[in-house]
Amino acid sequence: MNGKGIGASLYSIVTRQKAFIFILVMLVGMIFSRSNFYSAYNLLDMLNSTSILLILSFGVTLTIIAGGCDLSIGGILVVSGILSIKLQDFMPMGWAILCAIVFGIAVGFVNGFLVVHQKTEPFIITLGMGLLLTGVAQELTNAHPVPAKNPAFMMIGNGDFHGVPNLVMIMAVCFALSYWLMRYTQFGRNLYAIGGDYDVARYSGIDVIRTKWLAFVISGGAAALAGVLLSSKLNTGSSIYGELTALVVNCGVVVGGTSFAGGIGGIPQSALGLLVFGMLDNAMNMLNITSYYQVMLKGAVIVGIIWMDCFANKRRREFV
Amino acid sequence: MKESNPVLRAVQVLFRDYLVLLMIAVLVAVTAIIEPKFMSPLNLVNIMRQFGPLMMVSLGMTFVIIGGFIDLSVAGIINLVAVVTISLIQPIGQVPALLTGLGIGAACGLLNSAVILSSGALTQAEALFLTFGMSTVFSATALLYSHGSTMHFWDIKTSKSIFETIGAGTLGPVSVSFVIFLAVLFLLWVFQTKTTEGRAISLTGGNKTAARLSGIGISRAIVVIYTICGLMTGLGAIVLFSRITTAAPVIGAGYETNAILSVVVGGTTLKGGKGSVLRTVMGVLLVVLMSNCLNLLGVSTYLQVAVKGAILVLAIWLDNRKQV
Repeated sequence: MNGKGIGASLYSIVTRQKAFIFILVMLVGMIFSRSNFYSAYNLLDMLNSTSILLILSFGVTLTIIAGGCDLSIGGILVVSGILSIKLQDFMPMGWAILCAIVFGIAVGFVNGFLVVHQKTEPFIITLGMGLLLTGVAQELTNAHPVPAKNPAFMMIGNGDFHGVPNLVMIMAVCFALSYWLMRYTQFGRNLYAIGGDYDVARYSGIDVIRTKWLAFVISGGAAALAGVLLSSKLNTGSSIYGELTALVVNCGVVVGGTSFAGGIGGIPQSALGLLVFGMLDNAMNMLNITSYYQVMLKGAVIVGIIWMDCFANKRRREFV
Repeated sequence: MKESNPVLRAVQVLFRDYLVLLMIAVLVAVTAIIEPKFMSPLNLVNIMRQFGPLMMVSLGMTFVIIGGFIDLSVAGIINLVAVVTISLIQPIGQVPALLTGLGIGAACGLLNSAVILSSGALTQAEALFLTFGMSTVFSATALLYSHGSTMHFWDIKTSKSIFETIGAGTLGPVSVSFVIFLAVLFLLWVFQTKTTEGRAISLTGGNKTAARLSGIGISRAIVVIYTICGLMTGLGAIVLFSRITTAAPVIGAGYETNAILSVVVGGTTLKGGKGSVLRTVMGVLLVVLMSNCLNLLGVSTYLQVAVKGAILVLAIWLDNRKQV
């Protein structure tokens, strides 16, 4: 490391902390924009609307660190959201929410079986699982939004506690929990080891299959929780939200610095990565950019940042 | 492996390698018994027309998957090619419009390969996310170009006979799109099996390091597979909007998963290296026949999406077990 010049260390900062730099650039840029971006209301609103994506990303981060990927979260999100509303006709609200989350955990379990136990490539198979669940969601609702009838259910996603929205608090709890899990428990460290080198982890006595499997189960559970919260926030369940969510969240995690190569990254990085997208959305709305340009900019950001991730992987390969 | 009798071996091979053909046969038989309308000439012509666009896209996708990569951008390419081509028919005439459409498709594919090559992406996962981002960019370009509006054939005042022929014309007993399909299939089959480049693609997909060390130009193979995929997707888009006589900037939604589904169900492995365009033809046939059967049996479109997802998961799982 000592032999390298200032250019190389600058390069490594840019490639490692690209999300942080992106956020910094955006924050500085917005100072000159003459909009309400810097009002306390807007910043809190931004955090509130990104909360659901953040909860999704914490689960996905575990699977990506373990060298996998979960593209079925969009499907889990919509189905569990719809379930939590539909089941309220038959049972109390608490049980309905519990059932929806158990559903997500069950899907995560199946994903884990296919990817970890049967050793299939996670990318396309979880994409297929997402497609399956989207179909199920459309069938459940006839592709119409289903309204929730219980006002108490709506308050979960829209209420606040002394000015702090519930969603932000739930997100903070999830953040703390997953950060603790990845940083201070054996399970978290084992996940890093598995992502770093699967065979080495196996030979060092880690129960690789069970650990990685659990990562998929947690990801499914987190996606289901996010689905319930989304339904509660919008007071409706609909099958259309999940289409791009899965890919955007997975990209966001990579944007933060968790690499598809596995074994690198962490929960705070993912939070930063998703905040990039949340802030980008918010800033583009503030600047009155038309929605087509917004879509295009978002696509360009995804390509640009994944490109940088691939390029960094290539450099790493060449160093070895 | 133990020595078993040849009949058993043949059955084993049939189940392992030609499960799709078997499934097609069972599906056709069951539907024909339950719903006699299935075998009516009208329905068969309908099926022949339906599979055109998906077939073109899937044939292109086959090369990408054999090369060990994936292309999620086909939906975006279809959107872009469809709206640009239909809007150009009146100002510059049909032949230039047709060629421009194909050119845009190929250019989009070339752009994909440029992004992948310059970033040094070597895995399917990296290609998946890069092409997903590109798809978003292409779709947004289509939306910007068309201002989000749908364009119809009847708005075009000048002659559009070529597109009408592609969409609805017949040549003897078969539709024109079917003839195009046969011609393209023959070309691609020759390219895949009889040329050096075609074999280089298979080798690249099989093992990239080994391919590079034995002097095969991986970069060239990547450019070729994505350009073919883009070109075929452009052709698919033209066949698609000619058939339905309208082009909206969201016309291609869902084609990426359907194409991957068709290729995988056909028996081309997602691990790369093995597969063929002929297998993809079987895969597309199965997917289109399945939609048709489910329609005739009165299954809702929504449940059909779920069935497709389930089959995709099942096909990848079975493919994986075959290799182990």
